[in-house]
Amino acid sequence: MTTTDTDASSTALEEAITSTDPVTLAKVWGMGGMTAVLVGLVAGLLVSLERLDLDGAGVFGSADEVFQFWSVHRVALVLLGVLPVLIALGTTIVPRQCGANTLLFPRAAALSCWTWLIGACMTVVGFLVDGGLGTPGGGGQRQATALTLMGLLLVIGGLLVATMCILSTILSGRAAGIGLGDLPFLSWTTLVAGTVWLGMLPVLAANAVLAYVDLRGRPAVRFGAEDAIWEQLSWMFTHPAIYVLALPVLGIALDVISSATGTETANRGVLLVATAAFGFLSFGAYAQSFFDTPGTPIMEEAIYVLDAFVIIPIALAVLGGVADLLRRGGSNLGSKPPAPVVLLLLAVLLVVAGTVLGALRVVAPWDLLGTSVTGAQFTLIVGAAIIGMVAGLNHWGEDLLGSPGSPGLILLGGLAATLGVALIGAADAISGFGGQADFTGVDLATAGYPGSGVGALNAVALLGAAAFLAAGLIWMFAGVRHLMADTEAEVA
Amino acid sequence: MASVVPTTPTRPRSLVVASAFGTGAVLAYFGGLFALYFSIRADAMAWGTRWFPEGAIELAPGGMNMATMAFSAVTMGWAVHAVLNDDRVHAYLAMALTAAMGIAMVNQTAFYISDIGLPIDTSQATTLMFVIVGSHLVMVVVGVLWLGLLLLRALGGQDTSRHRDLVSAAALYWYAVTAIYAVIWIGIYIAK
Repeated sequence: MTTTDTDASSTALEEAITSTDPVTLAKVWGMGGMTAVLVGLVAGLLVSLERLDLDGAGVFGSADEVFQFWSVHRVALVLLGVLPVLIALGTTIVPRQCGANTLLFPRAAALSCWTWLIGACMTVVGFLVDGGLGTPGGGGQRQATALTLMGLLLVIGGLLVATMCILSTILSGRAAGIGLGDLPFLSWTTLVAGTVWLGMLPVLAANAVLAYVDLRGRPAVRFGAEDAIWEQLSWMFTHPAIYVLALPVLGIALDVISSATGTETANRGVLLVATAAFGFLSFGAYAQSFFDTPGTPIMEEAIYVLDAFVIIPIALAVLGGVADLLRRGGSNLGSKPPAPVVLLLLAVLLVVAGTVLGALRVVAPWDLLGTSVTGAQFTLIVGAAIIGMVAGLNHWGEDLLGSPGSPGLILLGGLAATLGVALIGAADAISGFGGQADFTGVDLATAGYPGSGVGALNAVALLGAAAFLAAGLIWMFAGVRHLMADTEAEVA
Repeated sequence: MASVVPTTPTRPRSLVVASAFGTGAVLAYFGGLFALYFSIRADAMAWGTRWFPEGAIELAPGGMNMATMAFSAVTMGWAVHAVLNDDRVHAYLAMALTAAMGIAMVNQTAFYISDIGLPIDTSQATTLMFVIVGSHLVMVVVGVLWLGLLLLRALGGQDTSRHRDLVSAAALYWYAVTAIYAVIWIGIYIAK
């Protein structure tokens, strides 16, 4: 049984909250995740606006306030946005791909969903009431920072339990006769990515617990110091950990393009190995520069640098798989290729661009680790993940909601998002080479005394942030319209 | 005429698989904490800094706890064996003993921590130690509650050889609890 028994007097809200139906849970994960993506994009736009004037506070009152919005941009996109939407796909599409009757442990899945939602609300509120994950000047409210950390722990807990349900379904619930090597690529990449999440998210939780315990009630020893919290958690939002966000998108691309072109992937074994390698190279819990000991910093260690270079040919191999599908079956797409196919091709290209930029970032003589190249790479990879998962939601929307979505709006939003991501990525990458810091603050010293021309590039990045936000709004409109049409159809 | 035996699915048991994933996540959590602990400790030692105050950490309580946990792992294995053989009396006994040893371990650790009177904010070492030991205590309490549930199910006749997955899943978790304590014992109590 996948839904809780409800009596005739129960309201729609009660039914939604007590439901263990994977489709209902996926709607909560999906809408909650996309709302968080919008929150992250708004924060990103405001920070871009602030960066137009590097030697003074314009939009915000202080560097600490800029930092709170700068960090919420990353947290909202990754932990509150991309991962939950990927969980939405894993909750509904993956069991069907595996031939499972339904998601295993539906009550645990429901618990995880609501735990995540409560945690996400606490996290956002924590940021809004002058908390967040610490500030460089220590100007935030300690209680609010503690609230943000507690929210973050609930978010991580929810994501972990949901991941366990999905992975258990893949391993134990799939139909007899389907081997792991026979799984569709979305299920396969979800299995790999989920395993990596189970390895990384608990480490992030350990960092957050340490900071929380040290922060509460007394002067912090080290871990809970306001100017140290973000540094301990930032590894989750940079190379190599962010690659794991893009992994399921590679699976979505291979599945959707294969389905749309009516062509089977050639060299399936190679692609399975390549996607698995992509996943395991994205394990980034070791790259905690805050805890560097005397000697070579972790970000200059061979493992970190090699990782950045080795992942490029792997991403290219997946791009090759996608290109091969289009070469052999492209004629079946007709003159107007479906929106998901276009968007997924763009997403894979952005992933490849992100991996190349990641390799350039670790070249020691250029000294780019603390520059806005880090932000550019984040935008390329996370942007690709967002575009790819929206394409996936559109492709499987009929399975989820019983009616097709709005491919025109999805395509329009996707093209705007791609333009935005490309503008931000290119502008921030060039600015990084010009010396602009990843977090620019409100004075030139914090911004790294960047060279001339950075002002114009920051204006380009602002345009990109606006285009990305516009894409988010278009997608949200399309999603809400789709959900409302579905509800009306149910009532009728 | 011989009855046709229905084919059974060959998939791994879902509860045990889920428990393995959950236990893996817990191990990753402690892996992160231990990595930080040993890294910062090595750094402090390299600079010649004292890690814990002289005489603050005693060997005996940690050793007693380790012995308790090791013995509880044996009784947990006994519980699984008893359930597999539909030996309900031994299953009750083994589960109750395991839970009792878990409670004894929590009690002993709580007494020891309050007895040494070492404030949590003395240094990075004490903060890390309290977070690690405290997290482990939470893990033991979860395990004891799980065992209590299993005991109730066994009393209701639900933990049998045909429905043994929950016991096997709990055993997997409990072995991880014991293994983590072994690292705490060696890394914190012995190596100090």
